[in-house]
Amino acid sequence: MEEITSMLPIIAPLIVIQLVLMIIALISLIKAERTNGHKALWAVLIICLGYIGPILFFIIGRRQD
Amino acid sequence: MQWMTIFKKELLGDWRSMKWIWVPLVFILLCIMDPLMTYFMPRILDSVGGMPEGAVIEFPEVPPTEAIMMSLTELSMFGSLLIAAITMSVIAGERKSGVAELILVKPVNYFSYITSKWAAKLFLIFISYSLGMLASWYYVDLLFGGLSAERFFGLFIFYFIWLIFTVTVAIFYNTIFKRPGIVLAASVGTYIALSILAQVFANRSPWFPNNISSHIRSLMASGEVSSDLWIAAGVTVGISIILLIASNFSLRKAELAE
Repeated sequence: MEEITSMLPIIAPLIVIQLVLMIIALISLIKAERTNGHKALWAVLIICLGYIGPILFFIIGRRQD
Repeated sequence: MQWMTIFKKELLGDWRSMKWIWVPLVFILLCIMDPLMTYFMPRILDSVGGMPEGAVIEFPEVPPTEAIMMSLTELSMFGSLLIAAITMSVIAGERKSGVAELILVKPVNYFSYITSKWAAKLFLIFISYSLGMLASWYYVDLLFGGLSAERFFGLFIFYFIWLIFTVTVAIFYNTIFKRPGIVLAASVGTYIALSILAQVFANRSPWFPNNISSHIRSLMASGEVSSDLWIAAGVTVGISIILLIASNFSLRKAELAE
């Protein structure tokens, strides 16, 4: 446990980046009128896949038009 | 004038689609992930446990010049995929939806249309890449030891030439194909084909664009910019310019054919 707390200040930015990605992906998912694929499915992917979920959503989930 | 208008419109579009937030974040993640993982691996294995009694794993000492190269390895794999993915619909998408025709019936030069979009994407990628590499430099400095500014900027500038090339390839395919998915596949296919060719002919043609990162590796080790690196960089810039000019012709041809 002590090991993990000593790593925390260095690991923290990774966690923050991941959270920010997740939050902006969710915001843009909610604001989007239509997405490629079901919205609920995207919500699950964004939350569960770590940082890969939001990236996938931004690249293939959003409709350009 | 026109050029700036399209350039600004493109930047605004990227801002609206949140690219200005997520692309820099993903570049930072890509750049710092490997150095961090390498640093913590012995401790992670320790705290996870499950090692048989008395097992000793020797982890080789990683010099800072090697640690920063890990960021480049990640960028070469996932970074170029990401670049192709954010560039895939920049012109192709507009042609598919008909926006490109609306723009190009106006007295807009094809070349300024292509280069302004190219510059806008390159600007986004430059900012993201700078943030990512600065973050990586910070961590490498903190965890592995000092890395001189001279070496860092050598690596930074020469690798950016490779990134310019990847953007240009994707823009070029944008003018050939109309479907973003095909643009992505063609760009990634080209990167992979080039890296295979570069490996096969590594001894005979050290000036392949893909060899830039292996020349950077020796720059990090020796601290000197080899002539091969200069030539490879020059060749890469040359190919990029040729591709941009070729894009101009292929877009004109494609639009006239319709």
